[in-house]
Amino acid sequence: MTDETSDKPMARVRPKEEFNFFQDQRVRSAFYQILTAGIFAWLIWYLVSNTAHNLEVRGMNTGFGFVNSSAGFDTDFKLIDYTPGVGTYGRIFVIGILNTLLVSFFAIILSTILGFFIGVLRLSNNWLVSKVALAYVEIFRNIPLLIQIVFWYIGVFSLLPVVKKTIDISLGTEMLLLNNRGLYMATPILGSLFWLTPIALALAISGVIFLRRKAHKIQDTTGMQIKTLLPSLALIILLPGITFLATGMPLSWDMPVLDGFNFVGGTSVPPAFLALLVALSIYHAAQIAEAVRAGILSVNIGQSEAALSIGLKSSRVMSMVVIPQAMPAIVPPMISNWMNTVKNSSLGIAIGYSEVVSLFMQTALNQAGYAVEMVGMTMAFYMFVSLTISFFLNIYNKRVQLVER
Amino acid sequence: MAIIKAEKTPDRSAPLFETSVIGWLHKNLFSSVFNTLLTILMLYIVYLTVSGVFVWGFADATFVAENRRECYDNSLTGACWAGVIHWLDNIFYGRYPRDQIWRINYGALLLVLWMAPLWMSRVKGKVLVGATVVVFYPFIAGYLFSGGDKGFFMQLMIASSIVAFAINMANMIAGLTKSLGLNAFIIQMLGQTNAPDKTQRNILLLLTALAFGAAYLWQMGWTVEGVSWTKWGGLFLTLVISGIGIASSLPGGIILALGRRSKLTVIRVLCVSFIEVFRSVPLITVLFMATTMFPLFMPEGFVLNKLVQVIIAVILFNACYMAETVRAGLQAIPRGQYEGAHTIGLGYWKTMGLVIMPQALKHMIPNIVGSFIGLLKDTTLVSIIGLFDILGMLRSISKDVPWIGLHKEPLIFGAILFFILCFSMSKYSRHLEVKLSAGKQH
Repeated sequence: MTDETSDKPMARVRPKEEFNFFQDQRVRSAFYQILTAGIFAWLIWYLVSNTAHNLEVRGMNTGFGFVNSSAGFDTDFKLIDYTPGVGTYGRIFVIGILNTLLVSFFAIILSTILGFFIGVLRLSNNWLVSKVALAYVEIFRNIPLLIQIVFWYIGVFSLLPVVKKTIDISLGTEMLLLNNRGLYMATPILGSLFWLTPIALALAISGVIFLRRKAHKIQDTTGMQIKTLLPSLALIILLPGITFLATGMPLSWDMPVLDGFNFVGGTSVPPAFLALLVALSIYHAAQIAEAVRAGILSVNIGQSEAALSIGLKSSRVMSMVVIPQAMPAIVPPMISNWMNTVKNSSLGIAIGYSEVVSLFMQTALNQAGYAVEMVGMTMAFYMFVSLTISFFLNIYNKRVQLVER
Repeated sequence: MAIIKAEKTPDRSAPLFETSVIGWLHKNLFSSVFNTLLTILMLYIVYLTVSGVFVWGFADATFVAENRRECYDNSLTGACWAGVIHWLDNIFYGRYPRDQIWRINYGALLLVLWMAPLWMSRVKGKVLVGATVVVFYPFIAGYLFSGGDKGFFMQLMIASSIVAFAINMANMIAGLTKSLGLNAFIIQMLGQTNAPDKTQRNILLLLTALAFGAAYLWQMGWTVEGVSWTKWGGLFLTLVISGIGIASSLPGGIILALGRRSKLTVIRVLCVSFIEVFRSVPLITVLFMATTMFPLFMPEGFVLNKLVQVIIAVILFNACYMAETVRAGLQAIPRGQYEGAHTIGLGYWKTMGLVIMPQALKHMIPNIVGSFIGLLKDTTLVSIIGLFDILGMLRSISKDVPWIGLHKEPLIFGAILFFILCFSMSKYSRHLEVKLSAGKQH
């Protein structure tokens, strides 16, 4: 504080602004905005009128009426019922979306698990382990995903044995069969009293949660540690197990059986699905591993040193101190990776996996020719997915920012 | 009585356990039982992988054969590289006429020479060098690659490119020998160092005009035969698409990023929606849009060829990603820089062009290299819509009669090629990042 401030401040006289039409900021900003909007509107009008004219000249149909007209082609992989000639283009669109989401969903789960694992290995004290993880990351990051997908499809899953020489990968129980037509899985058929088993499992889980809480409370008040691992495991395994046995094992399997030249029964996925799944998981695991590594490194080293000095084991330091603090740095890049997984699943088109781009934007478009509508619908689907994911990401970011110091 | 040692105790060397190879091994590989087991397991996995790859790809592989049958006759378990070697020209140049391949090579050499000064610390005027590459190289390279008749505009641009290249080379020599910019060097040579600025400028302009005239007369003398774009292919096409893509998406990205940060609502909303739309859809949908919808957008009778459609799609798509890179770079510039520029009375464009962008671009170089890697990898997608880029060529080997069914080896060769390209570039961008952040003041 100086003496001057204690004086009464002089009444400031604002210099009178002269309004100059060409120099005024508001006028200029309004002018530029109107100009841009005008150019944009003209561009849109130009494109639309050209398109309308071209569509007319070529005699192409427009409008969304085709969604209800029947499509004449079949797809080899679908999650909902569809008969060619009867099913509509709308149904084709839904089949494509479901196939995209299915492969993305499993790829996201696999790549996240694998990515976390490799990201942690990358920071291992063991020199060899960290170098092997590094090699994994660098190799799969620097090879185009499309080459990897095509390689897995042509070089691996198409070269599997023929149907006659199917490989059993479920240790002789014939529940998982792999051949060059895809993967055949046994499907569980639920008996009449099977619903009791999940209920028992839910009970067991709530029991375990209760047990843990109680143990925590005891530790907080008395400092005594109670081992909860064994009782929890016993509860989770035994309660549903006994229920299952007591109700008379109400579960049977719909097994894939060789019938003539192919397997019938069970569920099957085509080789293209497997190739896309494996390639996406491996490629995105490399990206997620880097995100995990960067996130873990962003945690101040003092945190893990302090944790070590109060006597925590190094595995607990990782899981209880470092990873929770690294999460805010890991989650955003990881989620944008998930988004990329959904987008990259469109590369299934190169190996004939019937996802939304190949089914709707290629096959259906070639058949029906509603170019503008079909391209628009497919893009709208991807935009919807992206917006949904970034909506949740924003919520997460807000929550994390609140607890940040 | 005190015993005081007068001389300094000699430094003891670090314990052998810490410094020797054994110490290193113990610390990094065998520090505990678990670690030892892990090391052994990893060694085993590495051994299996490396030996498997070595036996398949090298020891048992066939390098010289006329067809796939001969490969099998040689060995059943090894790779058949002979097919890839046979197709090597196709993989690199596509179906470009074999006697014209020198044009592609010269074009590549020209680019390397043109850009070389950027890596020489003694050469002045790097920004201009970079700008001339972006502005002039495409014309001369475009003519080299596609050939045919030169229109008047093309002749002008080719002559300008030749002049720009010559000036660039002269500038490089001046920089390397005298550590001077070319203009200073010429003025010195002519002994006009003390002449007024205006005279100096007139001398330089006169020389440039003379050089332009000479180049124009010279280029009228030569033509190369036309090669249709349908003959372009292989790695050449991949590099053309990604090169044009990155060069054009940078200015586009800068404009979009500035628009996104603009105070003018209309501009901001337009830019944000443009960026977000293209960033939320996969590239393949944009490519399909380009091939199915661009023909509808054009006025009747105006036909874009597929290559142009694809390149426009790649530019649109990549500009949006570049906009985010630029935005990140702009956000890294402290507010004080804007305020400082404002205080000395610079307007928006001068603030951006003279103060903010030069700093931001410097920090963005590693990320730009990163997005170039991404674009290079993404360019393989054009094979899906039927262009014969490198992946398209690799996949068509298996349809060639002598090599029918040869799938794995070409793909692995392509993977190795991409790995080398992308890995070295990413290492380089990492190096740049370190180098640039070392010079950072704050």
